[in-house]
Formats: sequence, structure tokens, C-alpha cells
Amino acid sequence: MVFLKEPMTPPALRATSPLRGEAIRLRHRTRRALLYWCFLAPSLAIFLLYRIIPIVWNLVLSFQYWSPLGEAEPAGFDHYEDLLQDDVFWQALWNTLIVIGSAPIGIVIALALALLVNSDIRGRDVYRTIIFVSYPLMTVAVAIIWRWMFDERVGLINYAARTLDLIDKPIPFLNSFTWALPSVIVANIWQILGFYMIILLTGLQTIPHELHEAAAIDGAGPVHRFWRITLPLLRPSIFLAFVIGMLNSITSFDLVYVMTGGGPGRATEILVTYIYKLGFVQTKFDEAAAVTMVFFVLLIATAWAANRLAGGNVGAMDTE
Amino acid sequence: MDRWRSILLNRFVLVPGAIVFAIGLWNIYVTTHNHGIVTGRVVDAAGRPVADATVGLWIFNFTTYEEKERVKTDADGLFRFTNNPSHRIQLGAEKAGAGRSQRVPVFLYFRSQDTTLETPLRLAGQG
Amino acid sequence: MIHRYPRSPIHLALILASFVMLVPFYWVLKTSVSGENIYAYPPSIIPRNVNLFYYVDVWYAIPFARYFMNSVAVSVIAVIGNVAFNAMAAYALTHGFRGKSFVVLLFLSCMMVPFQATIIPAYLITGRLGLLDSWLGLALPQCSTIICIFVFKASFDAVPRSLIDAARIDGLSEWRIIWHIMMPLSKSAIATNVILAFIWSWNNFLWPLIMTRSADMQTLPLGLARFLSYQEDTTGALYAFCIMVLAPGLLLFLLAQKEFIRGLTSGATKG
Repeated sequence: MVFLKEPMTPPALRATSPLRGEAIRLRHRTRRALLYWCFLAPSLAIFLLYRIIPIVWNLVLSFQYWSPLGEAEPAGFDHYEDLLQDDVFWQALWNTLIVIGSAPIGIVIALALALLVNSDIRGRDVYRTIIFVSYPLMTVAVAIIWRWMFDERVGLINYAARTLDLIDKPIPFLNSFTWALPSVIVANIWQILGFYMIILLTGLQTIPHELHEAAAIDGAGPVHRFWRITLPLLRPSIFLAFVIGMLNSITSFDLVYVMTGGGPGRATEILVTYIYKLGFVQTKFDEAAAVTMVFFVLLIATAWAANRLAGGNVGAMDTE
Repeated sequence: MDRWRSILLNRFVLVPGAIVFAIGLWNIYVTTHNHGIVTGRVVDAAGRPVADATVGLWIFNFTTYEEKERVKTDADGLFRFTNNPSHRIQLGAEKAGAGRSQRVPVFLYFRSQDTTLETPLRLAGQG
Repeated sequence: MIHRYPRSPIHLALILASFVMLVPFYWVLKTSVSGENIYAYPPSIIPRNVNLFYYVDVWYAIPFARYFMNSVAVSVIAVIGNVAFNAMAAYALTHGFRGKSFVVLLFLSCMMVPFQATIIPAYLITGRLGLLDSWLGLALPQCSTIICIFVFKASFDAVPRSLIDAARIDGLSEWRIIWHIMMPLSKSAIATNVILAFIWSWNNFLWPLIMTRSADMQTLPLGLARFLSYQEDTTGALYAFCIMVLAPGLLLFLLAQKEFIRGLTSGATKG
């Protein structure tokens, strides 16, 4: 089968000399390349406008004094030095790290669920749908649901704990300094559990049956098979789930804003809510830009660290 | 013909179509039943219809109820309001000498829904 | 299977997991229809005094229809933009041309920039463009996503080269090749694109929060969050609103779950 790589020259031009034909083909190729760039233009424009330029602008803004009414003045590292002294910033950073660190808990639970759903039972699609249903829903609504679940007076969590005699006074989950962040983390894990499970399920289904059967014939027990076969082959999926989970938890503005607003005090303040408050409540765009750069660096660092932990180059994109 | 059938039976057409149809039916019901007519009866403590009692209509306004209108019952103790604009009202009756009733809240499914009070307003107590 | 292991513990564990996933919905649903003081302790498991009047209250207390319209309009614009722009970009990426690897690198690096890191400049840019408080401004940042471009690209790559070349010989322009040949062969990619773009735009909260200035341009998530501070009362109105907001998303997901899941996994596994 012959595949044509270039457009065929129209019959009228075929009679010309080969050199002229070459020039025409080159012009066609450049015209085609130009056309492809035109096709890419809208998407590129949107990414340029809303991803690339903002990051660069943030970088520049973090080194300036600027307010919407005045002119920009260079500020050197002043904003970053202020950040080092800022208690709220350190609290927000610490909270963000805790939230990132809670992602593995969700992945472990989702792995267990994926293994269960992957087994040969009837109605696995129903189970899969039920577990996944929380992910596509509006995070604001999920936040309100969990706010109600954790309610001090009549929330289900308190009610169940009191009925089971685990505690005798209700715990003000969203109003206590110790319980607020774990409550938000629980709500976050509940929402994203289905997504982790789907990713891990897809990974599980790519493991060929024959491997398990061969190992079983050789006498390996199920636990042994899990550790030696399933887990290593699942590493790309686990890495992917971790990166997505990290991205999701580091950016969970909706959940924190609606559940606790960052409080009590600053107990659930994470970097994104701090950025929002600095930028749009206090209108300190330049300081918010500095926090944004720290946030971005944290994100890149965590992704890079996860990549190294997963053995490097997992999830590399096929650039063809 | 088969192509049309496969398009129509596609779940993405069937479900939204059913929803739009149901919404249409509901709107038809609403437009034929929203004259704002509220009727009911007033009885005294013994259960006899009370004529010439004053019945008030209160309308919910964000946090409290405000009085809007008063009518008198006819000889059979029936009263009738004709332009209720709200979906959440209270009705109360009183008559000098026979007492007054409790203010009964009435919840409607849409504004100005035509409705009839099922249990009559019962006058109780002193004048 | 070599080993046959008992099924019932698996079912039990999965039923427990399903219970945990569904109970919060039930709890909020029960609160939105119970006609008593919702803060009375102990809370009832079965709702007492079932009535639907909270839903009526919410419908009239806030401009629900307006918020719904705003959300729908913004999502529709985002979906149309997504399908059009992503298809064009993906088609361009299926061919080799000078600078292609640079473009792919650019796209990949854009994936690492989360939306939250761009909110301030995005707000300023939209302000300069004069698009604050408008449907187009709300939809514009969501009009193209990298995952969806690669979904289209995978689908376009599967179209045999000979088909395209035959079309070129027939004199079809590249533009018409996309719309008359590639798209009809990529129905599942289009469906995936539509679902993903719609749901991401529907659920978006931070961008409308920053962008909208006037109350009647707000979208549903914004209206819901505002309602929280609206009334501190003992009725289930807030939870009725919550259910009303969840219902369309839930319905859409149940209708299109195959496409949604396929879109997430294929886009995700491509990095």
C-alpha cells in the first residue's frame, strides 16, 4: 500500500521541469504548515491567554508593588520576605502539605475497592457507578452535604457516635482546631474515591490473567501474587492517581471555602484560599502573586518528587 | 424510518424530551389554576357554620407574615379570596362575640394557586 | 479461574462501601423534605412530615431559573468552543510540521499549570478584554482543554491515512476534511468532549466567584454558596436548594456515564 506523503501536483503543472515542481511542493508544504498553525491558533490563544501569560504575569507581579489604581514599582524580594514572616502563610502551607499527604489514604482505600470490584461478581457495574457517583457532582454541593453531616447538633457523624456510645458530648467538627482539617480531608477523599478507583480499575484490567494463573499454578498464594505481580504492574496507575489526587487536593478551593471558609481561625486555610483572600478580599494583588508563585513551585516540586518515587519517566507522553 | 426511530429512542433524546414534556404539562396546569382563589369555611366551637365572620389573609414576606386582605363569610360560613399573590399564606378568622381562630398556615405549590381549605377555621374562646 | 473463593464477603464489603457513598445523599434528601425543625435532636432517620414545600420556597426566594440559565448558557458556550477548537488543534497535531514538537511541549507544560495559580492575572486579563460579568468571559478559559485535545487526537490517529489522502485528491480542503470525514468517524470522542467540558464548566465555582459582579450573572454553584449565608433558619430550604442543584448533574452523569468514564481514563492514561 502506497501512502502519499505530499499532495499530488495538479495535472496542469506536471509538465513543468522537476525543479519548478520541487518549488511548488515546498510552497504547498509551507502553506499546509501555515494552515495547521491556523488550526492550532484558537486553542493556543486560549492557553496563552489563560495559562502561560498568567503564570509569567504572576512571576513579574510578585516582584513589584502594584495596586489596580497605581503604577507598578519594583519591589525586589520584599514580598517573599514578608511571606517568611507571615504566620498565616506558614499555616496555609502546613495545611496544604497535610492535605497533600492525605492523598495516599484515599488511594489505598480505592485500591482495595478496585480489587473488590475487579473480581468476578455480579453487578460490578452497579457498584462501580455507585462509588463513582460523587465525583462528577458539584463540589459546592458536596461541601454543603458534608457540612451537614459534620453538624454539631444533628449531623450524622455526631449522632452515630453518640448512639454507639463512642462519645458523650457532640464534637464541633467544623469549629474545632483539631477536627476541622481532618473533616475537610474526609469530605475530599469521599468525593475523589470513585475517581481513584476508576483509574486503578483501568490499570488492573490491563494486567493479563495468564500472569496470575501461571503464578497460581506455581503455588503462589493470593497475597504473594498481589505484592509481586499486581502492585508492580499497577505502579503507573498508582502514580497517575497520586498526581491527580495531589492536584485535586492542592486546589480544593471550593470544598474549604464552603465548608469552613478557612476557619476556625486559620485551621483549614490552604494556599489557594489564602491567595483568594489576599487577592480578591484584601485586593493585595502583588502579595497574592507571591503566594501564587510559592504554590506553583510546591506543585511542580511535588509532581517531580512523585515522578522520581515512581521510578522516573512514568506517564511520559508519546510525543508523536 | 428506521433512522428516525433510532434517533428518537436514543437515551439522549428520550430523557430530555420526557423532561421537557413534563415541564410543559406542569406549566399548563399552573396557568389554568393560578387565579389566586382561596376558599374555606368558618365554624364555631360546636361545629356550626358561622356567618359574617371576618377572615384575614396574611402573606409571607421574607421573615414575617403581613396582612393583606379581609373578607366576611356569607350565610353558610364560606369565605372566598380572589387575588392571593403568594405561595405561602396564613388564614385566620374572628368574630366579635364568638372568638377567634388560630392562624393556619397554608403552603401552596406555586404562586396564586387556587386552593380550598380542607379543615374549616374553628373559632374558639371568648369574644 | 483456578481458585474459587467465596463471593459473599466481597458483596458485603462492596455493599458497605456503597452505603458509605450513598448515605450523605440520603441524609440531605431526608432533611430537605422533613417538615419539622431540622435541628431537633435526636434527628429522625425517616423524615417526619414529608412535604415538598421547601422546594417551592427556594424556587421563589432566589432567582433559580436565572442562575440555571446562566449555568446552562456558559456550559453550552464552553462545549461548543471545546469541540470546535479541540478538533481543529487535534487535527493539526496528527500531521507533522515544523515546530510541532514545540507545540506539544507547550501543551504538556500547560497541563501542569492549575487554574488556581492563574486567577489573578486571568481576572485582570478578562477585565481588560471587557468581558467581566458576561457569559463569554465566564466560558472563555474553559473553551479548550488539553485532555480533550488528546482524546480527539487519539481518535483522529485511528482514521486510515488513505482516507484522508483520497479526500485531498478529491479536492476537499483541510477544513472540510475535519468536518466531513474525521468528525463523523469520531463520535465517541465528540461525546466524551461534550460531557467532560459540560460537567467541568457546570461545576466551576472559583471562576464565577471572581468574575461576576452583578447578582443576575451568577451561576448555580455561586447561588448555592451565597444561599448558605442567606438564611439562618431551621428549615430545610438550603438542602432543598442543594438537591435541586445536584439533580441535573446527577441526571447527566447517569445518562452519560460510559462516555464520562471513558473520557477520564483515556485522557488520564495519556498523561
